[in-house]
Amino acid sequence: MSARLIATFLLGGIAAVDATPVAQTLLSQPLFTATILGALWGNLTLALEVGIVLQIMAASTLPVGARTPEDYAVGGVVGAGVALALGSQQPFEVSRNAGAMLGALAGMIGAVLGVPLIKWQRRRNEGLSRWCEDALARGDEGALAAAQWAGVALAFATGVCLTAVLVGGALRGLTWLAAHESLRLARAWTLAQPLWIGLGLAQLLNSFVQRRLTRAALFGISLLAGWLVLMMGSP
Amino acid sequence: MTEGRLSRRDRWRMAMRAALLQATWNYERQQGLGWAWALKPALDRFYPDAERRRSRLTEHTAYFNTQPTLASLALGAVAGLEERRAAGEPIDSAAVARVKSALGSSLAALGDRLFWLTLRPVAACVGLVFAISGRWFGALAMWACYNWIHLGLRFAGVEWGYREGPDVLGTPLRARLEELVRGLSALGAALVGLIVATVLVPGGEPRPMVFQAALAGGLVLGMLTAQRARPSPTEWALGIGMLCIVAGWMR
Repeated sequence: MSARLIATFLLGGIAAVDATPVAQTLLSQPLFTATILGALWGNLTLALEVGIVLQIMAASTLPVGARTPEDYAVGGVVGAGVALALGSQQPFEVSRNAGAMLGALAGMIGAVLGVPLIKWQRRRNEGLSRWCEDALARGDEGALAAAQWAGVALAFATGVCLTAVLVGGALRGLTWLAAHESLRLARAWTLAQPLWIGLGLAQLLNSFVQRRLTRAALFGISLLAGWLVLMMGSP
Repeated sequence: MTEGRLSRRDRWRMAMRAALLQATWNYERQQGLGWAWALKPALDRFYPDAERRRSRLTEHTAYFNTQPTLASLALGAVAGLEERRAAGEPIDSAAVARVKSALGSSLAALGDRLFWLTLRPVAACVGLVFAISGRWFGALAMWACYNWIHLGLRFAGVEWGYREGPDVLGTPLRARLEELVRGLSALGAALVGLIVATVLVPGGEPRPMVFQAALAGGLVLGMLTAQRARPSPTEWALGIGMLCIVAGWMR
């Protein structure tokens, strides 16, 4: 197994830890992890293409209320990891787009599959919590620290394992597809990429605008101004 | 009885430990264990007697949940309350629990809107503006944009909570945070416009008509689906991905 794959799995663990148990500093966001993976695998363009799609989907997925949101921390690493690993085996531009298509899909599937694992961790933490309270009652104050770090270790191990299983499984199952059906997959990417970006941006816009006319006007003005500047060149 | 006031170092340690508030998040106590762990430096200071300290620690492992960044404000406020309690003021466990509960729910209501619904998407948009233009530092811009508020409030929050007590979320701070939410939402709307423009004309070269039409289709579909919670955006995106693969095969 290559060192880059191992580093990808470890990044899955780090992302899982940053997402909820420790600090929540956005190191776990797909754009961040994709940039790191792009530098690691030496293909920043491909990593960013997948990272942008997954980041837009992640930004429109909100951890509020009782709903457990999709796990884009691990999903982001899986998506960029699969795309880069598949892309590294293919010499042509078309195969690169095929890798992006499969990577983005793998990332979203990884994000969905991460939800039951997050719920499982939370149930494991219930046991940890009860153990800690019993230990505290017995006079062991160190149990608090032990429980905290056990929670972090559990999240890290779960992130590493889920990333390894999904990236490994995708490489085993999709390498042939990416190599032999790259044209069809590239066509699918040409269509899916703008649709995904549009879908996610509309969700974001809806949450920002909240039916306020001034914010909708701001969106329109910045779109028009940005488009004009980019088309005509800056004054 | 008491070892006096919390030192700056104690407050710093509490803020550092608040980073692990959700390390053992669970369905029964939610952030309870993390809360007790973060508050421990204060309890160590106020209760040198191990028996009393353990009793207070056990109380604080009870159910608690709020938005994790703004939890620092509640931590500081409750540490101040524990200080007064240790000094002999008539504050019982039920009073501490009431303050925790009241602060927890009001901080959650404000914090969810500020961090999850506004700041995080805005930071993502800042990063995306650069990343779509092919610049590697988009991720760094996103990280910096989010963390100057997130980490700033996490560290300053304990200080403010300790100084202001249970009234920490009084009118001035609440008004400032509400204003921040409104300003960030307007900025977010403008950034989405800029992202759409950058996606349509990357580097001054307009994208092909198929791309532009698909982007417009995605925007319309997104606007329609945003009115309902289910299916989630990811479920819609997976469906779209499958359809595109089928379309790629048939063309």
